[in-house]
Amino acid sequence: MSVLKCSGIRYAYDKKTTILKEMNAAFETGKMYAILGPSGCGKTTLLSLLGGLDEPDGGEITLDGKNINKNGLAHHRRCNVAFIFQSYNLIDYLTPAENVALTSTLPPLPLLEKVGLTQEEARRNVLKLSGGQQQRVAIARALASEAPILLADEPTGNLDEDTAAEIAAILKECAHQMKKCVIIVTHSNELAKQADVVFRLKKGELLQA
Amino acid sequence: MNFIQRAVLYCFRQKRKTLILLLVLTAIGTLLLDSLAIRDASGNAAAGMRTAVGGKLILEIDTEGNYSLVGEDKWGANYVYNGDYITLPIIDAISKEEGVSGYNVEDSAAAYYAAVSFQYLPTNYNVNLTKYGDYGTFTACLSSERCSAFESGKYTLIDGRHIMPEDSHALLISKELADYNGLSVGDTVQLYDSYLDSEGRNPIVELKITGIFNGTEGTATGGEILADQLQANCGFLAYNTLFDVYAPEYKNGTEYSSVTIYVKDPAEIQNVYDKIKALPEIQGKTLKLSISNDDYQVVETPLEALKDSVTTTLIIITLTSFAVVTLLLTLWIRGRKREIGILLSIGKGKETIIFQFLTETFVVLVAALSLSILLSYFTAARVSTLLLPEIEGTALTVQVSADYLLPLCCISFFLVALSVITASWTVYRLKPKDILTKMS
Repeated sequence: MSVLKCSGIRYAYDKKTTILKEMNAAFETGKMYAILGPSGCGKTTLLSLLGGLDEPDGGEITLDGKNINKNGLAHHRRCNVAFIFQSYNLIDYLTPAENVALTSTLPPLPLLEKVGLTQEEARRNVLKLSGGQQQRVAIARALASEAPILLADEPTGNLDEDTAAEIAAILKECAHQMKKCVIIVTHSNELAKQADVVFRLKKGELLQA
Repeated sequence: MNFIQRAVLYCFRQKRKTLILLLVLTAIGTLLLDSLAIRDASGNAAAGMRTAVGGKLILEIDTEGNYSLVGEDKWGANYVYNGDYITLPIIDAISKEEGVSGYNVEDSAAAYYAAVSFQYLPTNYNVNLTKYGDYGTFTACLSSERCSAFESGKYTLIDGRHIMPEDSHALLISKELADYNGLSVGDTVQLYDSYLDSEGRNPIVELKITGIFNGTEGTATGGEILADQLQANCGFLAYNTLFDVYAPEYKNGTEYSSVTIYVKDPAEIQNVYDKIKALPEIQGKTLKLSISNDDYQVVETPLEALKDSVTTTLIIITLTSFAVVTLLLTLWIRGRKREIGILLSIGKGKETIIFQFLTETFVVLVAALSLSILLSYFTAARVSTLLLPEIEGTALTVQVSADYLLPLCCISFFLVALSVITASWTVYRLKPKDILTKMS
C-alpha cells in the first residue's frame, strides 16, 4: 500500500496571501478521496502540490516516506501521479488512442474499451467526441500511466448528471478494483458522496468531514 | 509515444501551419541560395575580369639625370643616355617571378617601310618620300597579342598567328591591305627601309606574313595625305627584325628601353611590384618600375560594389528571416500552452517539449530546403537574365552550386533552432502550475 503524505505544508500566493497553513494529511491507495471547499480556498493548489506541479513554501510531501522532489518533480509526475482535469486536456491533433499512448507503451485500445469507448471512437479526432467521451479518454490516459495516484480536478464539472455518475463510477472502480489512490477536488456533493473519505478545505486547513 | 512521433504527427495533422511555415522557409532558403549565387557570381566575374584585363607593370629606362654630353654639331649639343637598358637577363628574371603572366615590348612607329613587292592603299596625294613611294609605319613588338590595339579589341587577328618573342622577320598586315594586294598568310613581302642599316645602306627587308587582322575597315576619313596616315597601311613586325637589320651585333645582348610586364591578378599587383623591385638584376640600375592597372579599376569597381551590396542583402535576409520565423513560432508556441501544460502534467520534461518543437520545425525545414534547392535553380537563371544582364561588358552567370548546400543547411538549422528556443523561452521559464493556470 502506498501512502501519499503531507506534513506541515504551507503555501501562499505571491508569498503574501496564505492558502495552506501547516497542513497535514495522508492518502492511501485503494481509496477514493474527495476534497470539498469554496472557490479560491486552495483546492486546486493542493492538488498541484500533491501532483508536483508546484512546490510548497514549507513542509514536505512524501510518497512512501520519500520526498516527491527527491528525483525531480517531473519524475514524480511521470511515475507516481496522473491528472484528470475538468476541461479534459486532451491534445487536439492526436486521436484518443494516441492521447492514451502519451503516457504508456501499453496498447491503448483495451484501456479505452474499458472506459466505454468503441474502437471507431478511439481513432476519431478527440474534438469530435462528446464531453463525457473526452473525459473517459482522459481517465484512460491516467490509467495507462500505471501511476498509483490519480488526481482529478473537477472531473465531472462539465458533464451532465448521468455522464457524471458514470465517470464517478469509473473513478471509484479505479480506486477499489485497480487499487489506485484517487483524490478528487470537487464542488459536487453527489460526487463527494461516492468517495470513501471526504475532506473540507477551510481557512487553509484540511478537515475530515 | 516519444517526441519525434508527436512532432511528425503534428506536422501532418496541422496542415495549415505546416504549409505556412514551409512556404516561409522555402522563400527564405531560395533567397539565401540566390543571394549566395549572385555574390559568388560577382566574385567570380571580378576574378575572371582581373585575369582577363590583367594588371600591368611598366619597366623603363630612367632618363632623368642620366644623359651625358657627347659633342656638339651645327644643330647644337648632343646628349646620349648613359644609363642602363633592360636586358634579356632582366626580362628572364622578371618572367620567372610568381604572379607574372608575360611581358611585351611595343614600340609604335619603330620602322618606316616603303612597299617594294606590293602597293599601299592609296591616299589623296602621292608624296613619294622614297624611291619606292610613300612609306607605312610599323609597330615593333615581342608579342603582338599583347599590343594595345589587340588587347583593346580594336584589332582582331582573323588569319594566321600572332607575332611571338622568338620571331624575326615576321609581319602582321591589315585585311584591307592583304585584299588590295592579294596577299595571304605565308607570303613574303619586300619593303624598303628609309633608314640606314648597320652597313650604312638603305636595305630591302624581307618579311613573312604570319597573320592578318581586321579592324581598320571604316577608319579612313578621306583626308589622309601620307600612306601611313591610313591605318590599313600600318602593321606589326617582330622586334628582333630591328636588331637583325640595324644592329646584328647586339642581337645576343638585346636591350630595350621599355618593357610591359603582365600580372595574372591585378589584386596582387603590389606584391608582384615589390618582388620585382627587389630583384638583384634591377637593384642599382637606372631603371624605373611603375604600376598601371587603370583598366582593371574601371571594371572592378561595379563588380565589387555588387558583391558588397549582395553581402549586405544576405545579412539583411538572414536577420529578417530570423525575426519572421521567431515571430511566427512565438505566436504558435504561445497558442500551444494547453498542450505544453498537458505534456508537463504527464511528466514530460520542458527539454523534451522543446525538442518536439525543434523536430517539428526541422521536419518542415528539410522539406523547405529541398524545395529551395529546386526553386533556386530556376530563379538563379532568371536573376541572371533579368536583374544582372551585364556589368561593363561582363556577363554574370548566376548558378546555384552544391557548395552552398552545407553552409545553407548549417545557417538554416542554426537560425531555426535559435528561433524555436527564443520562441519557447516565455513558456520555458514558467512553472508547470502557471502554465496550467493560464491554460484554464
